[in-house]
Amino acid sequence: MYWTGSCGGCDVSFLELGAALLDVLSKVEIVFWPALVDAKRADVEALPAGAIDVALINGTLRTEENREMAELLREKSKLIVAYGACAHLGGIPGLANLSQREEILAAVFGDGFRPTPPPGGSPEDAPPELLAEALPLSAAVRVDYVVPGCPPPPGLISRAFDALLGELPPTGHVFAPEKALCEECPRTKEERRLTQVVRPHEVLPDPEKCLLDQGMICLGPVTRGGCDAACPKAGMPCTGCLGPTPNAGDQGLAMLSALASLVRAGEEGEAAFASEDKVLDAIVDPVGTFHKYALPATWRVPSPLRGGGSGRGGRP
Amino acid sequence: MVAFLCRWCAGAGADLAGTSRLQYPPNAIPIRVNCSGRVEPSWVVDALRSGADGVLIGGCHPGDCHYVVGNYKARRRVYLLRKVLEELGVEPERVRLEWVSATEGARFARVMTEFVKELRRLGPLQGNGQG
Ligand code: SF4
Ligand code: SF4
Repeated sequence: MYWTGSCGGCDVSFLELGAALLDVLSKVEIVFWPALVDAKRADVEALPAGAIDVALINGTLRTEENREMAELLREKSKLIVAYGACAHLGGIPGLANLSQREEILAAVFGDGFRPTPPPGGSPEDAPPELLAEALPLSAAVRVDYVVPGCPPPPGLISRAFDALLGELPPTGHVFAPEKALCEECPRTKEERRLTQVVRPHEVLPDPEKCLLDQGMICLGPVTRGGCDAACPKAGMPCTGCLGPTPNAGDQGLAMLSALASLVRAGEEGEAAFASEDKVLDAIVDPVGTFHKYALPATWRVPSPLRGGGSGRGGRP
Repeated sequence: MVAFLCRWCAGAGADLAGTSRLQYPPNAIPIRVNCSGRVEPSWVVDALRSGADGVLIGGCHPGDCHYVVGNYKARRRVYLLRKVLEELGVEPERVRLEWVSATEGARFARVMTEFVKELRRLGPLQGNGQG
């Protein structure tokens, strides 16, 4: 298990398996897991190629070192699993791609920042360079399987371990249902018409009714199920962490399309245009709302207004 | 430039512009759709990704949609999509929705001329389809 640009949530998520975790641990040998065991990079480097059965990697690729480690683990492992939304799609840290690397460094460390070693340290003690943009794991190495989620829900973690310790699915498999979250959500759906768009903190949601019907932007229609609708059940709209259903394509654009279809401000027609726009204006951060987890995987952020760019093509 | 034209109004308007031998810049790859309300935002983005510098969606005038409300749906989608594009750093003017009726060949020619002028002003969308 390795973490790249990660919040640590994915590393902790295994605990949610409860007692079943003991069963898993009795069947595996942990060779490397910075959060848990004391093996170092040099120990991994010393292993022969393919010596590790499975490497689960979580976090977004954000630094040169992240990329090196992903490549090293690819070489030493038979299977690579992208674990969690960051490794799968770029994740929430991927929203940083809305700004240029230099802008981010300047905002955090001040103008002209260069990574340098600590006083008296050798050059290799310097912090690693940031990549030009945050990337999903698949941008650097071949990924065999995906366990989606932010962090992955326990049901999907066990699904993945069952398969990894038993019969392997075809390469590329995502350990989550293909059906949309709405299908496993117990909330009642009515004829959908949105006369307002609200943010979760602005309303006390009705406990039974579909959150989208109540004006919250719930990505349930375009997101894979597999979490047992944990967020909608708790009154929070789905933000899409399990990634798009195979049918949805670009998850955020599919949701944008669905949402725009549902918005009404009285009778449709020219007279309603201005008030419809006002309803839509309530979406304060469209990209952060529709592409919360998948920006690096679906969009090469173009920079026609900023010049330069990442060298990976400026187009969306 | 890619132009998604609904077959009932804007597409017919384009045909009329053609049969009336009106002059307008030949920069559009027209794609005929049944209704402007059928145009998915992801198609618009795919067009931009594939090398188009702008996308025009041509639908019926308000009240004239063959499917009654498709053009209203298209309008809301374009409104939101332009916001997304803007946040991503793409000029929202690259995506344009225009109402053109079947009898408005001249209007179609004018819309095309204006849009091409606007796109020339904006210049090529950076990245040249390498995305
Ligand atoms: S997927 Fe979520 S929980 Fe896992 S590292 Fe990324 S932000 Fe943290
Ligand atoms: S609350 Fe969300 S997940 Fe549940 S039915 Fe409504 S849109 Fe779907």
